[in-house]
Amino acid sequence: MKPSAAVIAMALGALLLGGCAQYDSKRGVEVNWQDTVTTQLVNGQSTRRDVLALLGPPSQVIALDGESALYYLFERSQGKGLILLVYNRMQIDTRYDRAIFFFDQDDVLTEFATRLYPSDEG
Amino acid sequence: MKVSALKVFCAALTCCLLSACTQWHYDLGAPLDNVALPPENTSLAEALQLLGPPLRMSATDHGFVLAWEHWNIREQSLGFSLGAMGADFLSADWGDMRVKGDFLLLTFNEHRLLTSATRSTWDNDGGGGQSIQPFFNFVSVVDADDLTESMPQHHWGSYLLQSLPGTLNESSSLDSGRGGLQQRGTPSAVGQQSLRMD
Repeated sequence: MKPSAAVIAMALGALLLGGCAQYDSKRGVEVNWQDTVTTQLVNGQSTRRDVLALLGPPSQVIALDGESALYYLFERSQGKGLILLVYNRMQIDTRYDRAIFFFDQDDVLTEFATRLYPSDEG
Repeated sequence: MKVSALKVFCAALTCCLLSACTQWHYDLGAPLDNVALPPENTSLAEALQLLGPPLRMSATDHGFVLAWEHWNIREQSLGFSLGAMGADFLSADWGDMRVKGDFLLLTFNEHRLLTSATRSTWDNDGGGGQSIQPFFNFVSVVDADDLTESMPQHHWGSYLLQSLPGTLNESSSLDSGRGGLQQRGTPSAVGQQSLRMD
């Protein structure tokens, strides 16, 4: 028995209605804290002005009882999805590139740390 | 009575088209499973070297707190609707959510020495629900929005542009870096947030 044209059309329609999705979301400040940049900063010598000149305005400024911290954050979400109508699946991975710089009361850099995911090192 | 293969095929195909399963998987941050808690009196520099920059931070009366977190959220839902048969007046939905995560909280004193380090690990049912709704899906049976929102640092500059109750309470905002910090998903009706009265 051969399937009718209507059945073939339905099956084909179901196949054609399936799809996939992909998206990339980026939020935050521009990533400027690559190792090549932060090697120019020295604890006890560099100042807040140096950090701001190198990295630009931060995501957040935190006051710490006379001292202060600059926080830089770049948030990247990557999603991929399979849409088959009957079964749909979305996977979203979010990673945080970040850097934090601590300054004493004289605005001199005391400590800093950075984290950069390889795909954002560009 | 003999049912033809064609009819069975059509019925199966129709049934498939009427119901659907959707899964959302969120992975936020890097896993903390293999990270060991630093001992007391560890310096800030050593902690940062070990863990990298924190994801959350706040000043305290005598120092500051740093937090790292990793969330894994699995949301799945199953829906059934007669819409494809021209009877788009009723839909039945079922949803469920599983939440796994780690939260690492380090407290430093004014000398930048570690005074306490705690870790919280969970693998919980994040809730779910069932619904039968007419015409439109008014209610989502699974809600993960408060767990997947972006980091508060992105909104830091706009704190003073909130509605008046929020602006007046800015000094105790949990996202400002001065009023403490909180984990994702903390109910907004408790703690400092309740002062906003909105």
